[in-house]
Amino acid sequence: MTITRVEVSPKQGEGMRDVRGDVVQRQLASDHNLIVAQVRSAVGYLIQSSISSEQIAQRIDDIFTDPIIEQGYCNQPAFSDELLFSQTPELVITVGFKPGVTDNPGKAAQDGFQTLFPEATSTSISTYISYAFYGLPSSANPEQIAASMHNGLIEKAVITDTNACSTRAWNLLEYPMPPDQQFKTPASINLETTDEELLNISEKGLLALNLEEMQTIQGHYRDESNRALRTAVGIDPIAPTDVELECLAQTWSEHCKHKIFAANIEYTDTETNEQSTIDSLFKTHIMKPTHDMQGEVDWLLSIFHDNSGVIAWNEEWSVCMKAETHNSPSALDPYGGAMTGIVGVNRDILGTGLGARPIANTDVFCFGPPQWQGDLPENLFHPSRVLRGVHAGVRVGGNESGIPTVNGAIVFDDRYIGKPLVYCGTVGLMPRTLPDGRPSHIKTPSPDDIVFMVGGRVGYDGIHGATFSSLELTEESPSSAVQIGDPITQKKMLDMLIEARDLGYITCITDNGAGGLSSSIGEMAEYTGGCHIDLAKVPLKQPGLSPWEILVSESQERMTVAVKQEDVADFLALARLHEVEATAVATFTNSGYFHVSYDEITVAYLPLSFLHDGVPQLQLKATWTAPEHTDFTPPKQADHGQILLDLLGRPNIASKEQWVRQYDHEVIAQTVGKPFTGINRDGPGDAAVIAPIHGQTQGLVVSCGINPRYSDIDATSMVASAVDEAVRNAVCVGVDLSKIAGLDNFCWPDPIESKKTPDGQFKLAQLVRANRELERMCRAYFVPCVSGKDSMKNDYGSGENKISIPPTLLFSLFGNHPDVRQTATSDFKQPGDIIYLVGSSKEELGASELAFMLREQGRSQGIGGKAPYVEHPDQQISHYKTLSTAIQSGLVRTAHDCSEGGLGVALAEMCIGGRCGAEIDIDGTGDASLWARLWGESLGRIVVAVAPHNNSAFLEHMKGVSKTILGKVTSGNYLHIVDGDDIVLSSNVESMTTCWQSTLDLSKEAGA
Amino acid sequence: MKPKVAVLFGFGINCDYETKAVFDLVGGEATRIHLNRFVLDEQNLDDFDILAVPGGFSFGDHLGSGRLLGNRMRFALRQQLERFVDAGKPIIGICNGFQALVKTGLLPGPESTTTPDFIQRGSLTLNNSGKYEDRWVTLEFDPNSPCIWTKGITRMACPVRHGEGKFVLPSPEDFDRLETNHQLVVRYVDPTSTVGQGRTDSPLPYPISPNGSMRNVAGICDSTGLIFGLMPHPEAVYARWLHPDHARGTAPKVASETIEGWEGEGLQIFRNAIEYVRTRHG
Repeated sequence: MTITRVEVSPKQGEGMRDVRGDVVQRQLASDHNLIVAQVRSAVGYLIQSSISSEQIAQRIDDIFTDPIIEQGYCNQPAFSDELLFSQTPELVITVGFKPGVTDNPGKAAQDGFQTLFPEATSTSISTYISYAFYGLPSSANPEQIAASMHNGLIEKAVITDTNACSTRAWNLLEYPMPPDQQFKTPASINLETTDEELLNISEKGLLALNLEEMQTIQGHYRDESNRALRTAVGIDPIAPTDVELECLAQTWSEHCKHKIFAANIEYTDTETNEQSTIDSLFKTHIMKPTHDMQGEVDWLLSIFHDNSGVIAWNEEWSVCMKAETHNSPSALDPYGGAMTGIVGVNRDILGTGLGARPIANTDVFCFGPPQWQGDLPENLFHPSRVLRGVHAGVRVGGNESGIPTVNGAIVFDDRYIGKPLVYCGTVGLMPRTLPDGRPSHIKTPSPDDIVFMVGGRVGYDGIHGATFSSLELTEESPSSAVQIGDPITQKKMLDMLIEARDLGYITCITDNGAGGLSSSIGEMAEYTGGCHIDLAKVPLKQPGLSPWEILVSESQERMTVAVKQEDVADFLALARLHEVEATAVATFTNSGYFHVSYDEITVAYLPLSFLHDGVPQLQLKATWTAPEHTDFTPPKQADHGQILLDLLGRPNIASKEQWVRQYDHEVIAQTVGKPFTGINRDGPGDAAVIAPIHGQTQGLVVSCGINPRYSDIDATSMVASAVDEAVRNAVCVGVDLSKIAGLDNFCWPDPIESKKTPDGQFKLAQLVRANRELERMCRAYFVPCVSGKDSMKNDYGSGENKISIPPTLLFSLFGNHPDVRQTATSDFKQPGDIIYLVGSSKEELGASELAFMLREQGRSQGIGGKAPYVEHPDQQISHYKTLSTAIQSGLVRTAHDCSEGGLGVALAEMCIGGRCGAEIDIDGTGDASLWARLWGESLGRIVVAVAPHNNSAFLEHMKGVSKTILGKVTSGNYLHIVDGDDIVLSSNVESMTTCWQSTLDLSKEAGA
Repeated sequence: MKPKVAVLFGFGINCDYETKAVFDLVGGEATRIHLNRFVLDEQNLDDFDILAVPGGFSFGDHLGSGRLLGNRMRFALRQQLERFVDAGKPIIGICNGFQALVKTGLLPGPESTTTPDFIQRGSLTLNNSGKYEDRWVTLEFDPNSPCIWTKGITRMACPVRHGEGKFVLPSPEDFDRLETNHQLVVRYVDPTSTVGQGRTDSPLPYPISPNGSMRNVAGICDSTGLIFGLMPHPEAVYARWLHPDHARGTAPKVASETIEGWEGEGLQIFRNAIEYVRTRHG
């Protein structure tokens, strides 16, 4: 084996440019205020192969170099070419991967290499990028620049300084040889020890198990009947193997078992003196309401027990949706963490029923403010870097998978500096019935079915992801918990498995996410009542993994698929065709046991009942005392025109178009309601509308609601606001409210009282109140929660430096749309259209965006006060139904909801979308102050505009719904707002557009 | 007869479903076929009348977009492709498919002969903006082009969705030659320009030209006009409800009864090829 170095650099000349270098140059200017005259780049390939350098040199233009635009070099650094690089750079920084880290370009290069050299089967290729800097300011610090260009957890950077550059003595990166892994035969772990030592075992092993759980495990191995059965299969009868302990830790992790949502909670409300006990928040407030609703309709096909909830969309098709978070990995490596987040939730869809096809993604992020100037705790990235990285990961993951990103949001709050929240959701589509007659939403495994691991291989990456995410982030958080997704390996697998599904090969399918094979096979084994896994058969990325590592590794891009014995050969042939690796690793049984071997040796033997139901219920306490805040009092004097411009520029309100445009939102040719809308296609879209069956007009609506600010007052308000916002957004495009379903994704700070979390009882009380409100709203709105997830340890550090996120619920909604030809968008359409406010405003300025802004500007004291609340949700939903049908019947073409920044901001956005003006009178829009009517965020409000010829029909249709006529769309370019006789503001559309668009545009010179 | 259309997929191609759908909507019989089914001789390209290479992210765009897919086609499908082209059958490459056709050398193809020589003569490279973007552009077509796919089409709006769409040729002379042959079929134009007069050689600003393509080229054909590739996605506006102006009531109407009168501007491209095949078969 020799290692050949190939480098490729863009040619110079008319129309040719080094775009990669340009991007780095712009980023340094934007993020670090560092102006560099020029940056040039070269991509490097280190090829470890039996093919000689001479042979490779001859084919360099066939694979590595695009001969039209690039120059390639074999065993010579590009920057040494004095023709292409006549000037000596002042600094060179080269960034490559650390050993064992997923290198997607390297993998693709390997594939391409094999097309040219079919005999070179054991070639491996590692890639890197070198940047040459010209015209550096004297203040530039090479180490700092290098630090900003790589993540030390997964990448390595080397610097060639000015001196070395002058002699072209480049500091080169070498092939990242992975260190040999030490295969360890399973060891027994003695649990006959003190409680203190039990906890020590848990902590040292990153098991995240508490004392009671450790004691429960201890008890299992003391049981005589267990000991006898263990002796019979030749495994240590009295102590767990490391495989078993790891497997239990994974299965019992907060991440997998949702122990806090399942806990028994003693709740005390010090305001009302209520004392009550809740046996599982999940069962009480989420499962029960949804099951009750299931009794009333026929379209809730599959809820709670599968990877996502499935609803019948029409006679032929069903749809499902799932949202997940990937917070901890995204904090450590924003790019890789977010990418694995999106491709991971895609697999949940593929693993639903007998396999659904992902057709739409949603992304909701919570970050620290991108312009943050304050201190950063150690080991945390600046929010702008987190934003860039997470966005890039989700962009690459979604775009390369060919799944449109149709809906999302970005929320900013200082506290997300400690832990960014990265929610990724996916909608799936499947035929109700497969060609062989089986309903697609029901898994049909039997004992003796062969269980395959399909897709990627198992590596050292991703060990302890599930247990790690159940711990708070520390400086020592392990790098093995970080992975980079590989969308193309997954796309190949997805293509193959959808074909396998339609051919009837699949009896059971689930994804390998948290907990790896331990979780995926372990959960599927419940269907037949047992399984037998042989870990020695599992294909590995690198040799030397120990059995427990193979079992729990969360290496990406893997599905677990069960196939009938008679279909095995055809299944394997299909895998070969798609160039997808599929390996039989287990068999379903009905033994009642999770039985794991390594070759002939049994390494784990756990009763399924103990594995899945053995975890003891947590006993927790929650106490509610309302937090105290100084009330928000608006300033006496105010220039509302300026306030509007300031609000439009707030990161929470500002346009996210620069970021969202980089997602493919239109692949599959189904996206009717797009993320941006209006005459210049830059006004905000409220909800996505897709028509996924080509040529047909029935649609799906996808929307979301998130409003963590209100947690500062009461999580009740935060939840009401999220649910109402998701429904409200969907109403704006004309959703069919008789068929909508919701997803609840909770992200909370640790709510278990402990030394680290002295305010745990309060945080848990917030969770209780959030769940109660979720039930109240969902029952009234008839939104069954068909799927959800919780992430409960969103804190950074401890003691005084501890940062806890605000309790955050993302509520996602998907629902039916009767006919996508009849929908509405937020942009004003025609001068003369009549503008109404549907709903009314209340005095609810507590924790509003306005309150936070004026406090930050030093113009008011606090953010306290009444926060939004829906007093009569049943009445509210009936108003929504009336409006939604008005849109469905074509009476209304313009609708936009009032959310952050209230009515004032909503009207401004509608003017921006239409590039037109409006004459508005807000008199009569509610029994509240001008401030509350203009900027308040009361729920249930939608602004609509109606063409004059539809006006009387609209009014007839809307009888009984609270609404106020606001004014008219004008052909001018001013938004005029008056309150009766008082002039409130007059704002120019172009200035509003500029303020709204510039805040989050971190790439101002794009296209220059 | 229903012309048979092979819609390639596999390795990260991802516009295969909609590309199949648009051919079906205009009277074709389209099938999604994994590239390897041709390579392994489970299927034969000879049995098809039209080949479509849809958009996507084959091999993750690594080593240059379309390059590794292009290599698979160039090395493993060479004979079948040669026969297909020699038989005068139409080929379309959209977005990633266009990139692959350019990198296999099928586009712009050799000057004098119609038999493919699989020599790369142009390229598609990173957008000047350095960004992947999904945005709607306005296109105009060369009315004198031999391209069989674009007959009768003057102007169209549709989305681009790419990070590597800047079309380059090694020299201005290469552009002049293709221009003379009317092979620079489709260009980005300013939507405010007079219809039919938007095409220009001088570089248009971002985002009218979303990528900085030389001479604003969005798509080209080979010398016969049978092989056509473009970066924008006409299949993404097969119906009027997919047009961003549809809720404003201003999405352009097409004189056609297809899709209950809701046909979008993009469908004509696919109909042209289907009708070409039908006419040829008499």
